[in-house]
Amino acid sequence: MSDKHDDHGHAEGLVHVHVHPLSTYVGIFAALVTLTLITVGLSRIHLGDYNFFIAVVVATIKAGLVATYFMHLKDDNRFNVLLFVGSLIFMGVFFIYTMNDTQHRGQWDESYGTKVYAPTGEEAPGRGQYQEIKLEGGHGGAAEHH
Amino acid sequence: MSNSHSANEELHGHHGLPYLAHHFETPIQQFDAAKLGMWLFLAQELLFFSGLFVAYLVFRMWYPEAWSVCSHELDWKMGTANTLVLLFSSLTAVLAVRSAQLGERKATGNYILVTIACAFIFLVVKYFEYQHKFHAGLLPGHYFAPVAGHTISSVFPPGSAAYFSVYFMATGVHGLHVIIGIGVLFWIYLRNAKGEFTKDFWTPVDLVALYWHLVDLIWIYLFPFLYLID
Repeated sequence: MSDKHDDHGHAEGLVHVHVHPLSTYVGIFAALVTLTLITVGLSRIHLGDYNFFIAVVVATIKAGLVATYFMHLKDDNRFNVLLFVGSLIFMGVFFIYTMNDTQHRGQWDESYGTKVYAPTGEEAPGRGQYQEIKLEGGHGGAAEHH
Repeated sequence: MSNSHSANEELHGHHGLPYLAHHFETPIQQFDAAKLGMWLFLAQELLFFSGLFVAYLVFRMWYPEAWSVCSHELDWKMGTANTLVLLFSSLTAVLAVRSAQLGERKATGNYILVTIACAFIFLVVKYFEYQHKFHAGLLPGHYFAPVAGHTISSVFPPGSAAYFSVYFMATGVHGLHVIIGIGVLFWIYLRNAKGEFTKDFWTPVDLVALYWHLVDLIWIYLFPFLYLID
């Protein structure tokens, strides 16, 4: 989106951007420092699972400030914003699909001889680590450990 | 260096601007292409780091106790100090770009130097942190062998070795980015000192600052994830 460069009536084709005042950047920096101290302060308080959630939210606000102002995405070509946001979306896909696997794996329960979900104790699908597999046909007795 | 008065007429022939590569029609086109390339690179960097963050999350969910115990082995004061140093360096990086946009060469150079100095401070703090972990035997994978008396906790739950694998891999790769950042910042400092940048051409300063902000961005997540686990 090159239109913004011509807004100020300068020579055609030359790059001209709006130069933000020093105070804008110093203000953003002050906000980032404040948020950092808030994260450190909140981590000292025991809030259980909320601690991690808060840490992610505060870090994301900080990252948003850096990307929007320091990295000039506010004034940048919208396509560059799309690239940035797009990579974040694909990171999300990476996270969700991986966690969907790793968080739903059963653990072998020796005493019951099955796989169970550790958090609930329910039986989990899939063959157990020590389950014997009898192969049909062949010479019999062949067992494999998976 | 052609001045901006003659630049206008020379533009119609698409020649004469020392910074305009011959395969670009206008400085705007060159600027947009450079920024697009840089953002593609940064998107790739995010995806690259996301592998480490996924490893972090999977192991944290599997070994919550280890994550909590091992996190307390890290010095949150040093981590906080380094976070503030990196945030400040991001401020000076963006101020270097601002000065370059205004054509203030001396200020641009000074801001870049302060940014480089912050990068060195960050690495020195990191060095002391690593040194402590080496002494305490808090090392990744099968090198994990805590030394009694050097650690805060006396019991390390299963998965502690995985925590330090993630810790060293994530901070190590991030530290490598800081070292590369020092290199490219210094390169831009020299080009600025030689007078390559003007009010009309400061793209390289902008791009290196973008890279530096990304290094900051990664650390914004690494800091609470590694240092501040309840």
